[in-house]
Amino acid sequence: MQSTIATTKKKERSINDAFASHFAKSMFLTVVGLFILTFIGTRMFTHVDLNLYGYMVGTIVFIGGFFYRFIAWGERPPTKIFIKKGLKLLFRKSTPKTAVNHLAIYDFIRNRGIYRWIQHILIGWGCVLACLVTFPLVFSWMYFTMEDNGYYTIVLFGMNVMHVKAEGIIAWLSYNALNIAAIMVTAGVVMALNRRLKNMQARAEQKFMYDFLPLYLLLFISITGLLLTFQNIVLHGWMQPQMSLIHQFSVIVTLIYLPFGKLAHIPFRPVSVFARNYREHYGEQQMKECKVCGDHFVSVEQSSDVIQVLGANEIDFNMQDGFNLAELCLPCRRKYRISRFSGFATHQVKVKEANQNAKG
Amino acid sequence: MKKRLYLELENCIGCRSCLAACTQCGGHEERNRNYVYDVNPLVNRQTMPLMCLHCVNPACARSCPAQAIQIHETGAVLSALVEKCIGCQNCTIACPYGIPKFDTEQNLMYKCDLCIDRTKDGIPPMCASVCPSNTLQWLTDEEIEAKQKQFNLDNGKWVTSMPYLEGETNVKVNLPGILQGVTKLF
Ligand code: SF4
Ligand code: SF4
Ligand code: SF4
Repeated sequence: MQSTIATTKKKERSINDAFASHFAKSMFLTVVGLFILTFIGTRMFTHVDLNLYGYMVGTIVFIGGFFYRFIAWGERPPTKIFIKKGLKLLFRKSTPKTAVNHLAIYDFIRNRGIYRWIQHILIGWGCVLACLVTFPLVFSWMYFTMEDNGYYTIVLFGMNVMHVKAEGIIAWLSYNALNIAAIMVTAGVVMALNRRLKNMQARAEQKFMYDFLPLYLLLFISITGLLLTFQNIVLHGWMQPQMSLIHQFSVIVTLIYLPFGKLAHIPFRPVSVFARNYREHYGEQQMKECKVCGDHFVSVEQSSDVIQVLGANEIDFNMQDGFNLAELCLPCRRKYRISRFSGFATHQVKVKEANQNAKG
Repeated sequence: MKKRLYLELENCIGCRSCLAACTQCGGHEERNRNYVYDVNPLVNRQTMPLMCLHCVNPACARSCPAQAIQIHETGAVLSALVEKCIGCQNCTIACPYGIPKFDTEQNLMYKCDLCIDRTKDGIPPMCASVCPSNTLQWLTDEEIEAKQKQFNLDNGKWVTSMPYLEGETNVKVNLPGILQGVTKLF
C-alpha cells in the first residue's frame, strides 16, 4: 500500500482530472497494485486458490471503505496538517523507536493499565499474525508445495524461499499459525468482554454497536476458525466446507465493518507516530514563549498551526491585550480568564499556580 | 427537564471540594479536571473555580486531528476517546481557557466531561453536588433566567457569559456580586 500512496502523490497533477475524486483515484490505484502483486505472486495466475475467493472480494470492499473513511478524515484541516507534515518527517532517527513503542508494544497502553495492555497485545498481535498468514495466501502471494521427499517448499511471490521438513517445527508453526492467532484473539476478547460486563464505568458508557459488536465479530472469526481445525482433526472434515463458508463470511463482515466502527482506531493509529515526530521535530526547532510568563510551552509551529486550523473553522481568539490565546501557556491562559472574570489582572501576579491536583 | 451547570463565581470560598469531588466521578481515574484560582493571591483570599465551559462550537474538538473529542447530545464536550487520541496536544493549545490536561505517559488528553455518566441521566455533576457555597449549581434555563433578573446588574448585563466569553457556552457563568460593588441578596 505504501508504494501506491507514493505513486498517487507523484502523478497527482497529470492524472488527477481523469478521476471523479481523490477517493476514486486511490481506490483505482490500490486495486491495480493488488492485481499486479497477485499477478506476480501467482506466477501469472497459475496458482490461485479458489477457496479463498470470498476473502479477495472482502478485501477489495474493505479497501474501498477504508479509503472512503480515510480520505473524508484526512480532509479535515487539523488532520491534513498532521498527515502532510508527518509524511515529511517520516525519516527521523527516532521514527523506528516511536513506531515500535506505539504500534508494536503499546507502551502508552501499558501506562493506562496492565489489563488493557495484555488485552491489546493478545488481540493486536493475534490479528496481525492471522493477517500475515491469511492475506498472502488469499492473493496467492505465498503458497506451499509438497515434494516427494517429505519436505515442503514455501513459495513467496513466486520465489522458493524455504525448504522445510513436513514434520519439523517450522512446518508445525506454519500450519498452526492461524490456530495460535485464534487462541490469542479469543483470550483477548474474553478479557475485554469481562471488563465490559464487570467494570461499572465501562458499563455506564458502552454501546452495543460501538463497543460490543467488534468484540463479537472477532470472537466469531476466532471460534469458527478453531472449529475448522477441530473438524479437520477430530471429525475428519465433517461439515468443513460449510464451516469454511461461515468463517469466510465472518471475516468479510468484519472487514467491511472495520473502517467505520471502533476497530477503525487500528488503521489510524500510525498517525500518532506522525504526531510524536511533529512535536519532537518542531520542538527542537523553536519553542514558543508564553506571552505572559515567558515559559516555553509548545513549538512555534504548533501554536501557529492551531491558530490557522481554528481560523479555518472561523474561530479566532485574538485578544485586545495584543496576543492570541494560543500564545499563552496553559496556567497563564487560565489565570487570564480569571482576570477577565474578576477585572483584576491575575495573570500578571508572579505567583505559580498551586494546589490544583486533588488526591482522589 | 434539561439543566445546566451554572457558576456564581464570587461565592467561591476556596475549599476545593469540587476538585476532590471531580476525582470521584466515573471514568476520572481519581484525577480532577477542574481548577480553583486565587484572584489576587498576595492581597486577599477571593478564589474562583474554573472548568470546561462546554462551548457550543468547541475549539478543542475542532482542532483535534483524530476526532477524539466527541460532543454528547446533551451538548457536553467529552474527554478524549482513549482509542482515538493520538496525543498531539492540539486541543490543549486550542482551548481558549486552557482546560484540557495531558498525560504524557499515557499519551492521552483528559478533560472535564460534565460528569457525563451522571448528567446524561439528569443527575448533577460531582462538583456541583458537593459545592458548599452555591458557587456551582445545577439549574434549569428558567432558574438561570430568574437569577439573571434577580441580579439585574447594569441593565441586565450578564457580566461573564456572552459577549464576555470567547463563544457561546453550555455552562453559564455569572458574577453578580461583591466584585462589582453590588450587594448580593441570597
Ligand atoms: S472550554 Fe475548552 S475544553 Fe471546554 S469545550 Fe470549550 S474549548 Fe473545549
Ligand atoms: S491530544 Fe488527543 S484529544 Fe487532543 S487534539 Fe490531539 S488527538 Fe485530539
Ligand atoms: S462537571 Fe464533572 S468533570 Fe467537570 S469539573 Fe465538575 S466534577 Fe469535574
